[in-house]
Amino acid sequence: MNTKALILLGFVAVAIGGGYAWNEYTREKTKASELPVKETVTATELLTAFNTDDATATTRFVGTTEQVVQVSGTIRSVDVASNGITNVVLETGDAMAGVVCEFTADDVPDQWKAGDAITVKGICTGMLMDVVLVRCVPVA
Amino acid sequence: MTPLKTISLALAFLPFALAAQDRYMTRSGHIAFFSATPMENIEGNNHKVTSVLDATSGAIEFAALVKAFEFEKALMQEHFNENYMESNTFPKATFKGKLTGAGAADLTTAGTYPVSVVGDLTLHGVTKPMTAQGTITVDAAGAVKATSEFFVKPEDHNIAIPGVVRKNIAETIKVTMKLDLVKM
Repeated sequence: MNTKALILLGFVAVAIGGGYAWNEYTREKTKASELPVKETVTATELLTAFNTDDATATTRFVGTTEQVVQVSGTIRSVDVASNGITNVVLETGDAMAGVVCEFTADDVPDQWKAGDAITVKGICTGMLMDVVLVRCVPVA
Repeated sequence: MTPLKTISLALAFLPFALAAQDRYMTRSGHIAFFSATPMENIEGNNHKVTSVLDATSGAIEFAALVKAFEFEKALMQEHFNENYMESNTFPKATFKGKLTGAGAADLTTAGTYPVSVVGDLTLHGVTKPMTAQGTITVDAAGAVKATSEFFVKPEDHNIAIPGVVRKNIAETIKVTMKLDLVKM
């Protein structure tokens, strides 16, 4: 291969590598709606799993990489925060703990209210006082 | 039950009732951390911080799930969890300490109170003492807001930053906290 071809090949390799690096650097986070559902549970089942064995539940629902959990339950409250975030808390039968589903305000159906039966998908991040799901989307 | 027994029972439980009145908490506190370098700025936000404040004793605690920190870009979030914080091994960040400068009476009186917090911060499995200054604001409606700013060095908590990206991450990370506390 002559020198010109090698130089051209080098430029092409740098361009491909640079393009890949730029795509990786600017890659947007995957939405919960774009990922397959790993686990499907009710809100009560999800809380019970964490209360029974936090480590096992973390392995199952949080995983080592982001994974989507689909949760069904009854809305306890819809709390609109001032930062564009809305927290929808699902009933679990435990007054001190719930399943908190964090939505961006635009993704929460306007008609949702306490007492409604809903299903959501989100990324499970673990449990503090409540089980926490982020980047949630409603499931029709 | 006789009236005397009823009154006695009520008085016996009064201290507990009063103690419960002096505890404040939140399940949706906000922690943001910010790293600024000439190479790039990195910001992570967590809106699911839990915190409990006992206004009588000043005991304060907060906890945050590491995986609940959100970043603008996917790569930043992956590096944060997988390479720096190792969140599969150390899923939570916690603080336990004592707050001074605002007591139980202050939290029921409208005003702005400068406060100090001293305690232990556990991050990446490493516990270090920490001191922070902050403010507690009580508005006319009785809403209690606590804010604070402090700085953390990754190396203090054994968070290893590879040499190739060391210049992309600040030596000291600025952390800000905002808690809207409600009475328990």
